[in-house]
Amino acid sequence: MSLRRRTFLIAATAPVLAGLTVAGATRAAPQIGGPAPAFQAMDAEGHTRSLAEFAGKVVVLEWISSDCPYTAKHYNSGTMQRLQKAARKQGVVWLTLSSSAPGREDYFTPAAAKAWQAKVHSNADAILLDGDGKIGRAYGAKVTPHMFVVGRDGRLDYMGGVDDRPFADPASLKGAKPYVALALADLKAGRPVAMPVTAPYGCSIRYGSAGGFQ
Amino acid sequence: MMRFLASLLLALATALPAAALPVRHVRAELVAEAQGIAPGQTIHVARRQQIETGWHTYWRNSGDSGEATRITWALPAGWQAGEFTWPAPRKLPVGPLMNYGYEGEVLLPVAITAPANAKPGDKVSLNAKAQFLVCAEICVPEDATLALTLPVTVGPAQPDPKWAKAIAQTLAQSPKPAGLAAVFQPHGTSVALAVTGAAIKSADKAGAYFYPFDATVIDHAKPQAIERGPEGLTLTLTSGYAFQGGKAPDAMAGVLAVGGRAYEISAAPGAAPAGASGLGPPRVAGQGGADLGLATAFVFALIGGLILNLMPCVFPILAMKAASLAGHGGESAAARRQGLAFGAGSILTFLALAAALIGLKAAGSAIGWGFQLQSPPVVAILALLMLAVALNLSGLFEVGTSLQGTGTGLASRGGLAGAFFTGALAVVVAAPCTAPFMGPALGWALTQTPAAALTVFLALGIGFAAPFVLVAYAPGLLSRLPRPGVWMETFRKALAFPMYGAAAWLAWVLSQQAGAGDLAKLFGAAVLVAMAGWLFGMAQKRAATGGKPLVLDVSAGLLAALALAAVVWPQDAAELTSEAYSPARLAELRAEGRPVFVNYTAAWCVSCQVNDKVAISTGQVRSAFARHRVTYLKADWTRRDATIAAELASHGRAGVPLYLVYGVSGGDPAILPSILTPDIVVKAVEAADKPKVASP
Repeated sequence: MSLRRRTFLIAATAPVLAGLTVAGATRAAPQIGGPAPAFQAMDAEGHTRSLAEFAGKVVVLEWISSDCPYTAKHYNSGTMQRLQKAARKQGVVWLTLSSSAPGREDYFTPAAAKAWQAKVHSNADAILLDGDGKIGRAYGAKVTPHMFVVGRDGRLDYMGGVDDRPFADPASLKGAKPYVALALADLKAGRPVAMPVTAPYGCSIRYGSAGGFQ
Repeated sequence: MMRFLASLLLALATALPAAALPVRHVRAELVAEAQGIAPGQTIHVARRQQIETGWHTYWRNSGDSGEATRITWALPAGWQAGEFTWPAPRKLPVGPLMNYGYEGEVLLPVAITAPANAKPGDKVSLNAKAQFLVCAEICVPEDATLALTLPVTVGPAQPDPKWAKAIAQTLAQSPKPAGLAAVFQPHGTSVALAVTGAAIKSADKAGAYFYPFDATVIDHAKPQAIERGPEGLTLTLTSGYAFQGGKAPDAMAGVLAVGGRAYEISAAPGAAPAGASGLGPPRVAGQGGADLGLATAFVFALIGGLILNLMPCVFPILAMKAASLAGHGGESAAARRQGLAFGAGSILTFLALAAALIGLKAAGSAIGWGFQLQSPPVVAILALLMLAVALNLSGLFEVGTSLQGTGTGLASRGGLAGAFFTGALAVVVAAPCTAPFMGPALGWALTQTPAAALTVFLALGIGFAAPFVLVAYAPGLLSRLPRPGVWMETFRKALAFPMYGAAAWLAWVLSQQAGAGDLAKLFGAAVLVAMAGWLFGMAQKRAATGGKPLVLDVSAGLLAALALAAVVWPQDAAELTSEAYSPARLAELRAEGRPVFVNYTAAWCVSCQVNDKVAISTGQVRSAFARHRVTYLKADWTRRDATIAAELASHGRAGVPLYLVYGVSGGDPAILPSILTPDIVVKAVEAADKPKVASP
């Protein structure tokens, strides 16, 4: 499919010979302590949601793919749902995002997102549909799961993996260091996050046509 | 107790098929460099991976995503296994991300040491469990239980005839330290990595690349700028997460690939030595064209442009244009303007193509010249264009002139624009013929700066336009061209045939690139184009006799647009890959306990094709098949086949379609309805993958 899409892109471009893509407008990569990129997106229910809506709250952003064994590891075991539940109990807002482009197998239409939400019994506040990859690219989200925590002041407090076990094997969950949970605990206690940046791991996010980050 | 037994049963039921399942995208085995092992000896055993085409596994640092292959040994007491020796990986870009890994076949050697008290004459079983992720569009975690039995020998055993050489070669080529000095220094968001040493001093630095062991030190997907120095090189890397946490990492270790070799390096923080930079970036040599200079490339392109005039796709257009020019031998000023307009049209079109190419390249597409022809929709459009030109030459309709005024239209006011677009059209139809002739010059041009690339394309345009402009400017030549007359009609109709030929050739090209479905679409579109041409011609005749041609014109336009849409519209998804059905293959798969989907189909069966398009070859089903490791068998009944006919009969069917899903727990297959939806297939597959557990 991706090849076809690319082919079609070239097909459309070659005869028209116009509107040439100019590589990468430069945007700064998100930095810990820097402002979290603002965004707006439709959720699975068809409502427009934005980061601004949750100003003054801690917001967790979680990238997922319904096709990815690493997303599956955290949902089949219930770890992610428990983390979501605990976070929301503390007043944290949990937004799950899918940045897979239309045509990719794990692309989320509102219906597909709802079906997945029901299937995994997600406890997230909302599932945001980022099919054009704008939010994903703004945050530099690379994999599923890739996690970001935005503080009450709208600054980025954490980015990286859910934990320190970059393996698909569910057995690897045992004894894992839960980075996101630790970051949320630090924020709750009013401490700076001890490990604000960790290595994300998982499946590549299947963004649409070529184009870099930031 | 009952509950315990039940969960034990369940665990067994889920574990057993997993153990019996052969891995799907990777064939893995253990191979040894020697036919035996002596007490106290260390030999290398390798995990051999044969990876399915289009799939890959990962290096020790998988890059932005993925997971390195892991192995856990279960060895008899006293036996020891080392770590993998990782061969240098390949860059595997995925969208905006970068992975490091392996494709095709790879050996991952491990040193195995026998205890001093191993008894010669005994046989030792080396058992291991490998866990790895294999990815294409999607990723599948797989594991493999590997075993190798070797005799314990008195002295070192004979080398293994099949694997000794390959393992030795892998070990010899794998990255090793070579006394290289390496330092790194962060600057803002980048890190300068300077490497110096005898091993790389005189190596070709083009394409040098640093693969870090740690996934957090660099941003893998960012390009690594190379600066050469008299003693080594400096790579400018984009810093990774590790530099964001506050304190910079205190080491950067990894593999430096340079000059066709790979070295292990470990860089400490520090200032770069003088010898690591100062000579600028490496020169990029053109592929095939070696070190073609700009002047040489210019001349080649000029000659190439000249030759293009003789191409079967171009000559008919030019010949017609030149002949009509001859008709105005007297009006040499007009002829000159025509020539210039034609020249401008073709040169500007070449430059526009070059700009598109450079733009696409800058945007990251891996394309070269001829890229237009790698795209099935473009090939289809060109085929239709050739057909339209051929029909025009055959006299079905006219372009830019009224029917009576053939040949005189050039003198009319629209003549200059007409000549300009003839130039542009000539370049577009010439494109299919360019690739073989222009290869070296264009290949070179594309590795150069945009300015140099544009210069080469400019030369190509000048060469291409030269003969025609020359004819327009030399009244002597012009007067030698035969006068237009009735012969021209005959000549023109004869010239239509090379164009029909070109259209046929492009249709053949398309059949090689795309499936029979796309070819059928092209043929349908060709019929529409011919009809559009005919209607358009009728409209012109009607207009010439004072009638109202609007309806005919509109319908001609609609048909042409429809034809274009038909060939350009992207197909939803490629057909799902399948294996050919045979009862033996089915039995084998069932014995392995794998879910199997059998599709009894035929090319002439319309409902089969519809089901395939709307239900089977969809992303949903594709991922369900991957998730449940379903093997897709296709029983093709397009040609007569007694075996398939018998199979159909055994399921009470006289014809296709028939869809069967065999479950992992054996038993009769589920028969799916003849009208499929993706949901039906996915549900059936999910059910098939559920082992039936007897209730306790």
